Amino acid sequence: MEQSFAARTLRDLAAVLIVAIFMFPIFWWSLSSIKPYSAIFNKDGPVYFDFEPTALNYKVTLLGRSRVESALESGGTYGAGGASSYDSRQTILDSTLVAVGSTGLTILLATLAAYALSRMAMRGKQHFIFWILSQRFMPPLAIVIPIMFMFRDMSLLDSRLGLIIAHTLINLPLAVLLLKSFFDDVPKDVDEAAMIDGATRIQTFRRVVLPMVRGGVAATAVLCFIFSWTEFLLSLYLTTSIRTLPVKISTFVTSTGTEWGFITALGTSAIVPSFIFILLVQRHLVRGLTLGSLKE
Amino acid sequence: MTALAADAHASGGKLWRMPRWLSAEHPFPWLAPITAMLLVFGVYPLLYAIWLSLHQRNRVKRVDEFVWFKNWVQAFNDQRVWDSLAVTFTYTGIALVIQLSLGLAIAMLLDQDRRGYGLLRALMTLPLVVPPAVTGMMFLLMEDGSFGWLSQNLYMLGIISPQNPILASHSTALMGVMLADIWQWTPFMVLIMMAGLRSLPKEPYEAAAIDGANAFQVFRRLTLPMMSKVIAVAVLIRGVDLFRIFDYVYVMTSGGPGTATETISAYAGRIFVTGNFPYAATLSLLTMIIVIVVANVFVRVFRVRF
Amino acid sequence: MSFREHDKKTFVIDACNDFTARRITKRDFMKKMALAGLGFSAFNASMLGMGRPFSGQRGLGVGAAQAQTPPDIEKWLKEVGGKYAGTKIRYSTEATPPSIVANQLAQEEFTKLTGIEVEVEIVPLEQVLAKATQDVQGQLGTYDLYYLDQSWMATFAPDTVDPTEYYKSNAELAMPDFDWDDFSKPLVDGIAMYDGKMVGIPFDIPIAILMYRQDLLDKHGIKVPTTMPEYMAAVKAITEAEKANGIYGNTCQAKSGHYSLECDWTIYLWGHGGSIFNKDKMFSGNDDRGIAGLEYYQELIKNSPPAATTWTWDGQFQSMQQGQAAMCISWGEFFPGMDANESKVQGLMQAARPPVEDPGRRAAADAGFGEIPAIGHQGGSVIALSEYSKNKEAAWIFMQWACSKDVMARVSTLGGGASPMRLSSFEDPRVKEKAVVGPGTTRHFDVVNWTINNAMGSEPDMPIWAELANNEIPVELGKLLTGQAYDGSAKACMDALAQMVDTKVADAGLR
Repeated sequence: MEQSFAARTLRDLAAVLIVAIFMFPIFWWSLSSIKPYSAIFNKDGPVYFDFEPTALNYKVTLLGRSRVESALESGGTYGAGGASSYDSRQTILDSTLVAVGSTGLTILLATLAAYALSRMAMRGKQHFIFWILSQRFMPPLAIVIPIMFMFRDMSLLDSRLGLIIAHTLINLPLAVLLLKSFFDDVPKDVDEAAMIDGATRIQTFRRVVLPMVRGGVAATAVLCFIFSWTEFLLSLYLTTSIRTLPVKISTFVTSTGTEWGFITALGTSAIVPSFIFILLVQRHLVRGLTLGSLKE
Repeated sequence: MTALAADAHASGGKLWRMPRWLSAEHPFPWLAPITAMLLVFGVYPLLYAIWLSLHQRNRVKRVDEFVWFKNWVQAFNDQRVWDSLAVTFTYTGIALVIQLSLGLAIAMLLDQDRRGYGLLRALMTLPLVVPPAVTGMMFLLMEDGSFGWLSQNLYMLGIISPQNPILASHSTALMGVMLADIWQWTPFMVLIMMAGLRSLPKEPYEAAAIDGANAFQVFRRLTLPMMSKVIAVAVLIRGVDLFRIFDYVYVMTSGGPGTATETISAYAGRIFVTGNFPYAATLSLLTMIIVIVVANVFVRVFRVRF
Repeated sequence: MSFREHDKKTFVIDACNDFTARRITKRDFMKKMALAGLGFSAFNASMLGMGRPFSGQRGLGVGAAQAQTPPDIEKWLKEVGGKYAGTKIRYSTEATPPSIVANQLAQEEFTKLTGIEVEVEIVPLEQVLAKATQDVQGQLGTYDLYYLDQSWMATFAPDTVDPTEYYKSNAELAMPDFDWDDFSKPLVDGIAMYDGKMVGIPFDIPIAILMYRQDLLDKHGIKVPTTMPEYMAAVKAITEAEKANGIYGNTCQAKSGHYSLECDWTIYLWGHGGSIFNKDKMFSGNDDRGIAGLEYYQELIKNSPPAATTWTWDGQFQSMQQGQAAMCISWGEFFPGMDANESKVQGLMQAARPPVEDPGRRAAADAGFGEIPAIGHQGGSVIALSEYSKNKEAAWIFMQWACSKDVMARVSTLGGGASPMRLSSFEDPRVKEKAVVGPGTTRHFDVVNWTINNAMGSEPDMPIWAELANNEIPVELGKLLTGQAYDGSAKACMDALAQMVDTKVADAGLR
């Protein structure tokens, strides 16, 4: 369908405008992260660019700079808190390890399952898929306590492995559904052709089909990464010394005030890695998310 | 599970004959790892939650006492459960419709191959990567009745009165919370819808163009029906998550003003953080039962197949 | 230019103080440091870097409070604590300024001297109770020390070790000159005692005091209110007069369903001679005094910024700091923030004793469950030794250190003017020195000290109190204040609440 120049321009404008609206909150927060505290709150109206930018919030959260300096430079409200309490470098490392680990485990388990569900005949397949999906129905609040007891007995409490398992649990249902739809996109003839050529089922899976859904696997992985990266409740209750980003950020709400500067700074930084991954797999993300619903 | 996979691999060889259900031709070895994982870490917690819901914590003796269905009876007699269910359904319904229609509209808008649209699509997904708890805090910052960017602008434009801040008024508080949800999850809808649009066949559109159908007709007669399956799955997945909404409510309003924004999960969450785990488990199970029933009906009525 | 050692020290200290007080710019400051022979890098690494001042150059600027551990304590830490070197103790705490500071000092000093590793888990405020409850109910033994809010004393009393008992029975671990009498009695009774047992050592004491804008009161010729009716009159007068400027007489922490609302309500309940429970252990918020208190509070809400019903202490503080309200009766911990440089009311605020109760205070004996009615609502916390700890000795050494005179005084100043626990802290020169307008001021401490000892109110001690205070009470109050139910009738709200609370108390077998 050809469009006139005017219509196209109008459409471009609308697209940019919509995206800009959705970008605004992020812009506003990252702006807040370089504001001095007094510019974050102003009863007389929002402060846009009329302030002296500061990198302090980033220095404290990302470089482990002491709060003493913060007090010195800004006459900070809360005096000198511990450097260790706001330094988030270890948190970023922990978050990354957990997210990468759980993504890996999820993809491993889900790929195997999705391939079988896509390729093989089995009775009650729809019920089985619904059962997997129903794992998502349980409010995380209800499973936190039992998982905590289980983890205690398995010595998984406060370990990265424990968190990896917990996040895998949350991510599996969606990952299976997604990957199945990617496998469904590959015609079954491909498998048959390969097996006629003498390849075993496993060889077909590894050498033929899997390479064809590489993009889809990457897209799924990115979503799993994001969901693990942003998960809060289980991360909080299953750990004591290992802190993931959302948990760390929530500790910046103190009994005498909320450290908006640190929250916005760390919040902004937390977006960056996920966004880079999204950029990389953007093409595949768009293709795979039909969740298999188009297949008969 | 790797051991199983290795077994499965070995069976592909010729040395000894595995039973058929252990061979790579059978789904069992492929599905065994995930099933084991979900059984161990999914079913036990569920059973435990059920056990917990049949107990009550004795605060004086400090033991869990078996009380049959006392918690369940309490839940059914608890006006706040009913109120919060009403809020939850309202919230889920409205947010779902908005996210779905916005998602579809934005997907159609961004579904272009021209330059720059790839970047726009990637930017559009950005809200997804913000941790929900942080999203709640950030929207709280923007909607604060005195200092929030959004509030200050709405006052300036005269849309709402400074006497009735967004999160303090019964009529607007739920919308205020929903705003965070819509912002964060509409992009997810966009992704699904875009994927659906991309996989539509081209021929019917060409035929429609020849017949001279206008854009609206094309949308109603072609796009919508062909997208129905995608929409159904999207509604299912998103609906389930919306029904369990917790973070935004908890962070932004604590369920207030009064209990105007208290969803069932937020209520359960409040009970949970004050340490009454049995009742929290009961409410969570109740939520899950409702979700399963509604989801099942939905799957049947709309013939959703995965 | 050359310095003699003494002059050099004074010079450095002066320069640091000037810089802290922003009398000189950072550039000038660096120049002076260079003159004194301290390069930028040295400055950065030792003072700014990890929050530890120049070795041997203590007592300056913000670092004023970071004086060295007294020699006898140092010796004790090395000798007694050293025996447990290599032990790791875990400590869970909510994010409060004192605990954040203690965390820092622990890593910088305690671990260095004793070799005992301290792992502090800072738990988000809202989740502390659930996490600790989980630990206790499952007897997980994850933590050696708990940081417990005063409202949970009854809930956790059986899970902790009485510190005074432990002190006596483990003389070999006792810290020299710990001085239990240095904690004032009302404080210990209010925060730490339950059923004759001391649950933990008091560590934090936010308490309600009156804070007001001197300039606004002067402008309208109002004198500082000393009684409840005077306070209301002043609030109304200012709201009326300052309408055009968007300034309100009062500000609240009245977020529906949040603990902060419960705290706010009790101030006025107690302030009108009421109590939450009567001596028959029945809810008494619905008696005459209770209704009077709540109606007074409803009136205050009308004279507060409209967003006050969505605010916790956070929003209440911001509205004060932004100059949106002229007065409030709230946590003394706010005060230093109002004196901070980013505050719009720096130097304009004054602290005063909370108004006298009207018509008078209800005697503690006439209230139930160990409740102490008095207008100065306290929100204190204790550090408690877990019964299930496997490293009680090491944990106990840390606990004594964290609650020692020296550390507590420093926590007050480093914590940005957090109220001290110990009587000696109020007199500590390092604390006194900060009693001037500026960040981390301690100039409200006299009022705080007076309130602790003369007007401190404490919530009831009962195992289900945390639930009542975080759920039923603030939810029903929220319904009333936001007009969702009860049609503005304080009586209807309190009657409904009475029924809920009494049922729950009976159900829990507490009556």
